[in-house]
Amino acid sequence: MLSVLLKKQMSEIFRGYFYDAKKNRSRSKGGTAAYIVLFLGIMVVLLGGIFTFVSLSICGALADAGMDWLYFVLMGLLSVVLGTFGSVFNTYSGLYLSKDNDLLLSLPIPVNVIMLSRLLSVYLMGLMYSAVVILPAVLVYWFTVAASAASIFGGLVLILLISVFVLTLSCALGWVVAKISLKLKNKSFITVVVSLAFIIGYYFFYFKAQMLIQNLVANAAVYGAKIKGAAYPLYLFGRVATGDIFAVLAVSAVVLALFALMWVLISRSFLKIATASGHTARKAYKETAMKQKSIASALLTKEFGRFISSPNYMLNCGLGILLLPICGVLLLFKGGTVISVLNGLFGAREGCTQVLICAVLCMLASMNDMAAPSVSLEGRSLWLVQSLPVTPWQVLRAKLGVQLLLTGIPVLFCIICIAFVYPFSIPELVLTAFVPMVYVLFSALFGLFLGLKMPNVNWTNEITPIKQSACVTIALFSGFAYTALLCVGFMLLNGWKLGFAGYMGVFGAVTLTLCAVLYFGLKKRGCELLAAL
Amino acid sequence: MLKIEHLTKTYGEKKAVDDLSLQIRRGEIYGFIGHNGAGKTTTLKAVTGILQFDEGEILIDGKSVRTSPLECKREIAYIPDNPDLYDYMTGIKYLNFIADIFAVSAADRQDRIRKYADLFELTADLAQPIAAYSHGMKQKLAIIAAWLHQPKLIIMDEPFVGLDPKASHLLKGMMREVCDEGGAIFFSTHVLEVAEKLCDKVAIIKGGKLIRSGTMEEVKGDDSLEEVFLELEDESC
Repeated sequence: MLSVLLKKQMSEIFRGYFYDAKKNRSRSKGGTAAYIVLFLGIMVVLLGGIFTFVSLSICGALADAGMDWLYFVLMGLLSVVLGTFGSVFNTYSGLYLSKDNDLLLSLPIPVNVIMLSRLLSVYLMGLMYSAVVILPAVLVYWFTVAASAASIFGGLVLILLISVFVLTLSCALGWVVAKISLKLKNKSFITVVVSLAFIIGYYFFYFKAQMLIQNLVANAAVYGAKIKGAAYPLYLFGRVATGDIFAVLAVSAVVLALFALMWVLISRSFLKIATASGHTARKAYKETAMKQKSIASALLTKEFGRFISSPNYMLNCGLGILLLPICGVLLLFKGGTVISVLNGLFGAREGCTQVLICAVLCMLASMNDMAAPSVSLEGRSLWLVQSLPVTPWQVLRAKLGVQLLLTGIPVLFCIICIAFVYPFSIPELVLTAFVPMVYVLFSALFGLFLGLKMPNVNWTNEITPIKQSACVTIALFSGFAYTALLCVGFMLLNGWKLGFAGYMGVFGAVTLTLCAVLYFGLKKRGCELLAAL
Repeated sequence: MLKIEHLTKTYGEKKAVDDLSLQIRRGEIYGFIGHNGAGKTTTLKAVTGILQFDEGEILIDGKSVRTSPLECKREIAYIPDNPDLYDYMTGIKYLNFIADIFAVSAADRQDRIRKYADLFELTADLAQPIAAYSHGMKQKLAIIAAWLHQPKLIIMDEPFVGLDPKASHLLKGMMREVCDEGGAIFFSTHVLEVAEKLCDKVAIIKGGKLIRSGTMEEVKGDDSLEEVFLELEDESC
């Protein structure tokens, strides 16, 4: 029975790779292979590459100092943080809010088996994110320090233990979110606030991590002795990867005990939480004067309503709304220092600093990709927009409108802040605003286009279209690629020869041309795709 | 009011609806019956403009669904077999959204929402999110939304499923009222007793083909609709 449920869960998780929802049939082998290669490319080459580089930079120094265990402590903790961060946001919905809960609970399946199958999604997500850190770390150690039988055994055990520990942490946090969420009135808002606090903490840790790591490597012996003395379990944790049998047994026992504790915790409450109506105090309806809105306004309000109703949607597709104003305010206070540092680094080539500023704005704007999953999020209520007297273009325009407003306004705010701290001439300021604003338009059009080309309206959990769909991944990483291209084109591909104004003008014009192509493509082909869904 | 001419819709190799023609006049309640997978929902979805069809023509009040979809959609309301509404909206927000799309004035929507929500005893729940509604409550909300813009043609797919007896009774009365005022109703059902009592005309579909249609008397004669339906099903096998 468990294998049947696991198979169902797996097919749901990886459905997008094998099934074309738009054409309502299985993908070709080539299409499936292309999707898998793309995903592996992003995870292995991009994220794995970053952490391979980090591992290479500290592994040798710490191993030479006899602090192999400290190296694994550092990379292990990084892996736990990334794994938990990556999976915690969908743990609550993945564990408790699946739409087939009622169906499965009505079948003669033990609750624990359902729970176990749900845990598989959480485990795979945690494993994926934690492995991109710890796997390169272990491989780097094997290749550069020692690939003995003990270290190979220890490395594999560490990877496994970390994945189980990440699962335990994610589930515990998911349980806390579930308990809180059942009693809260403004769940979406509170969930977003708590999650953002978590994200801020995460980034704070992340930014400090590099400095801490450098400090740790420089004073490895001193810190090593301190950690060993004051936090002996951490020492044992690091020793696991070196194949220390006592450490393997001790850490395994602790991790498994914590997992068992978590299992008891959630198995006692799973049924109650999964079947809870989530009703807080009933809000009485009081009739008030009604207002008539235009169709465009009604559709836009509907899209905004969809966005703010879902913490998952807001957190995964709208981080730029928060990061852009924060960046603007930070620049107002620290802009002088930032600009003098950038000038110091790139001052030799005129225009580099301005291009970097634009690139940062585009990068932050690319954190908003709410248009990409918006078509899939119509889900089973897609019949409504198809049967109502609205054109497909009116529907698509509302989806575009949300992203344009929620990204364009923060970008504009950021540009105003930059104008206060950087001595731009008026033409330079116009160009500095032009490229990011055109990019905002491009990313919304491109995201929506991808959403229409790769729709999935048959999801059972909204996290599938929001976080696990190809269109969102491509939209997000294409933003990063655009930013990289903006910098690389200027600094390495002779763009600087055109000067800042010339380069930005050309870059903006090319982007604008792409926008025009996408706009007319959406108006014709996009509308046809929506109507045919 | 509604004219379907030689409608054909194919899914891959399978013809879901095959050369189906029928006509519904003002004032008629037209029942559409057939076994599961016979092509009822496909036909209803094609009429509402949700599904694009391969061949044939659908005219609503003389306007083609294919060439004038918006004009047609403004005249109709559709209630699907499973009322998947916008779960993230409250009941009242959903009704206001539908009223906005159909440009129902503030005063008219206020009166109609009050009237129908009171009739279906849903007023107290209008501030609740639709996600918290039961199937029956969602069905009631979908019915209220369908009636908001006073459509000339109402298309319903299994409208009585999930409704309590009182709400079912109310709906039947409302359907008759629409027809008395010059509108028309086209609905599918598996409840043959309801179809027999409520419908002026009925069409029976099997394997995508219309196998019999006409007034209730023409279709069933002296037998019950159930007997005729089962007999026709057997004949076609």
